[in-house]
Amino acid sequence: MLAYLAKRLVSLAVSLAVASLVIFLVVEVAPGDPASYMLGINARPDTVAALRAELGLDLSKPERYVAWVGGMLTGDFGTSYTYRTPVSQMVADRLWVSLPLALYALSLSTLIAFPAGLYAASRRGRMGDAAVMGATQLGVAVPNFWFAMLLVLLFAIKLGWFAAGGFPGWDEPLQAIKALTLPAIALALPQAAILARVMRSSLIDILGEDFIRTARAKGLSPGQALRRHGLRNALIPVLTIVGLQFSFLLAGAIIIEQVFFLPGLGRLIFQSITQRDLIVVESVVMLLVFAVIVVNFLVDLAYAAVDPRLRTRR
Amino acid sequence: MTSSGPKYPGGAERSEAGAEPPLLDVDRLSVTIGGKTILHAISLQIAAGEIVALTGESGSGKSMTALATMGLLPGRARASGALRLDGRDLLPLTEPQLCAIRGKQIGMIFQEPMTALNPLQTIHTQVAETILIHGAASRAEASRIAADTLARVGLPPDRISHDRYPHELSGGQRQRVIIAMAIALRPKLLIADEPTTALDVTTQAQILTLLKRLVREDGMALMMITHDLAVVHDMADRIAVMKDGEIVETGPTRALFANMRHPYTRALFEASRHRAVLHRREAAEPLLRVAQVHRVYPGPRQGLFGPRSVTQAVRGVSFDIARGERVGLVGESGCGKSTLTRAILGLEPVTSGTITLDGHPVFTHGHPNLSVRRRMQVVFQDPYGSFNPRHRVDRLITEPFHLLPDPPRGAARDMAIDEALSAVGLSPDDRHKHIHAFSGGQRQRLAIARALIIRPELILFDEAVSALDVRVRAQILDLIAQLSRDYGLTYLFISHDLSVVRGITDRVLVMQAGQIVEQGPTDRVFDAPEHPYTRQLIAAAPVLPETGGHDAAAPAH
Repeated sequence: MLAYLAKRLVSLAVSLAVASLVIFLVVEVAPGDPASYMLGINARPDTVAALRAELGLDLSKPERYVAWVGGMLTGDFGTSYTYRTPVSQMVADRLWVSLPLALYALSLSTLIAFPAGLYAASRRGRMGDAAVMGATQLGVAVPNFWFAMLLVLLFAIKLGWFAAGGFPGWDEPLQAIKALTLPAIALALPQAAILARVMRSSLIDILGEDFIRTARAKGLSPGQALRRHGLRNALIPVLTIVGLQFSFLLAGAIIIEQVFFLPGLGRLIFQSITQRDLIVVESVVMLLVFAVIVVNFLVDLAYAAVDPRLRTRR
Repeated sequence: MTSSGPKYPGGAERSEAGAEPPLLDVDRLSVTIGGKTILHAISLQIAAGEIVALTGESGSGKSMTALATMGLLPGRARASGALRLDGRDLLPLTEPQLCAIRGKQIGMIFQEPMTALNPLQTIHTQVAETILIHGAASRAEASRIAADTLARVGLPPDRISHDRYPHELSGGQRQRVIIAMAIALRPKLLIADEPTTALDVTTQAQILTLLKRLVREDGMALMMITHDLAVVHDMADRIAVMKDGEIVETGPTRALFANMRHPYTRALFEASRHRAVLHRREAAEPLLRVAQVHRVYPGPRQGLFGPRSVTQAVRGVSFDIARGERVGLVGESGCGKSTLTRAILGLEPVTSGTITLDGHPVFTHGHPNLSVRRRMQVVFQDPYGSFNPRHRVDRLITEPFHLLPDPPRGAARDMAIDEALSAVGLSPDDRHKHIHAFSGGQRQRLAIARALIIRPELILFDEAVSALDVRVRAQILDLIAQLSRDYGLTYLFISHDLSVVRGITDRVLVMQAGQIVEQGPTDRVFDAPEHPYTRQLIAAAPVLPETGGHDAAAPAH
């Protein structure tokens, strides 16, 4: 187990180093001067030169890379050109919306998908299965912003249970959670639909395995065999999807953030790109890469927790 | 060599005459699935302490009988008749009632030890579950019983930690765990469905001995399902021969083997000990030369930056095969047979040593040597898995043509297809069919046709008849013998099944742990084995009785 952990940690560190290098090279070494790109084609040469000095572009490339990575390691992500505020502060503010939203949506999606998948698999080919499969088909097909608009229409406008948008901040946790509820549901439904389908097919594969028959021969009922021997075995593909979904939810919520006027990471990236604020783009992308790699690491650990065969493979 | 002594001391008559009611009474049991009758009113009794073997070919209904007894028939199956365990009919019982019986009064052992255990639970947990699920003991008590049971089946905790997971055990050890799960609650009836078919001969012998011991100790009844008449002969007190969902003949083992009444039983017996007639061949120059071949696989690193461990799959193997010679290669799983086979085919490099066909290396510059490769073909165990189900026969069997620089086209191709199909006893008209339209034996014929079509000089038969029923196996062996005469074939016949190798080869190589430990003329090796390992293999293999039915003479060879 320790060897497995060490191996995963080394691979995590290597991935991060490679990713930072790639992002740096793409943004900094790609043709064109970031300063003149950020200022647009009509900028005066002395303004460009001033920005170059401010961005540290007059240093050599290795020096700039070390400065950038060193800065990130100490929490200094640089200063946004557009907003004139530290990038770390901006990202932190947005992260406090996006991270809870992603976790909230992921929990909802898992809570819906697991029982739905389990139920469908245990009723394979019968009415219940068909109903769940029909619903998930719909969930996969309908875009999440459409769900979002329906939710706003029903729960915000018609029933008035939730606000239609905006985020009050975390000073009042209950209000904050309430504000994130409709977006989280809108994000969770399509993800839950995918996850439920994966869960169902994974379980059905496992139910055909010989050890399920062995369990039945021991005297377990079909339900007991499914829960005690099927579930954990079916979890590996499901965990993979959960990991992918989390990465997607963190940055991919941009449309939902627009619908609900949430100040999240997705909107930050969108704005930074339109305003050519490369420092912000660079830092946020690095942060997202970091999040994806860490989540993959956690998924690897979860695999090992579930499957002893991975633990003992040296 | 045969064990013709008293097989079940003190209880020979127990099976006949119903003084006391039998433990299991299958009474005119019929099973239909979707309107098709799978079992036709079969009747069978098993007394306590008795071993009854159900034998027959695939599709004869043996496994269905076992599943019906367990109440584990597929959902669409309908059963009628009666199935009494200790006088209580199981057929009308509800699912919860059956759950209470399964594992407690009836235990079952399956064919595939590699997949029959949950990979995510320790063996101890899985054995204890049998006890806990029936509420037969407290958690602590169940844990103790599970440990005792594992020790009883030959897995004492000081030898095999009970906290191991299935993947950390060998096939034979896993089968012991499965037996432990089945007998943990000392059921009255044990059902074993081909329990040793997937195991090596020495492991098979150990598992059969274990089963016999447990049955005698606990006074269990054992319903043993096997296609292997030699195993039946070694194990059973009584035999029921099944064919097409009916029991065609039944009787005490020795009496039945001494006087087989039903033609099907005799056919099975003859096929089981069938030996193909090989034509005499002249001495010839070597075709394949394997010289001092080593194959080492790098294993996982020991620790994060430690040195890699190495697995020596093949260690210094040398042998020649002369043109026209028929050579067998036997050994247990993991002995290096498969690695050697792949190396001969040029599918992977050797670490050191040389393999040449007619003087040309099979593997050069990191690639299989194509000009040599087209002179060799291979026939595998699973014909269905080796054919693309979407292609028609003509395309399937002409696959090796891609090895040729100038493959035949048009009329020449058609002729080659017709000839290959005719050679293996199929009709040229079969060329337009898909693979699913053929039976297992016909598929293996197609696999041989595919190998023959480019007229190879050497064919490797890799467990080529292991998955076939005995009668089909006998036909395929005859076909191979006939082709060796008609085409002057040279072949290497690789198998774990000693009796098959004996009947189809001139010379045999015995492989153990990557080395050839003995080689020589087949009859000499089998009749007077020199190496202890060869002796052990031959002793472990179950044997058919010498006398059989109408013809008592063993075939002189």
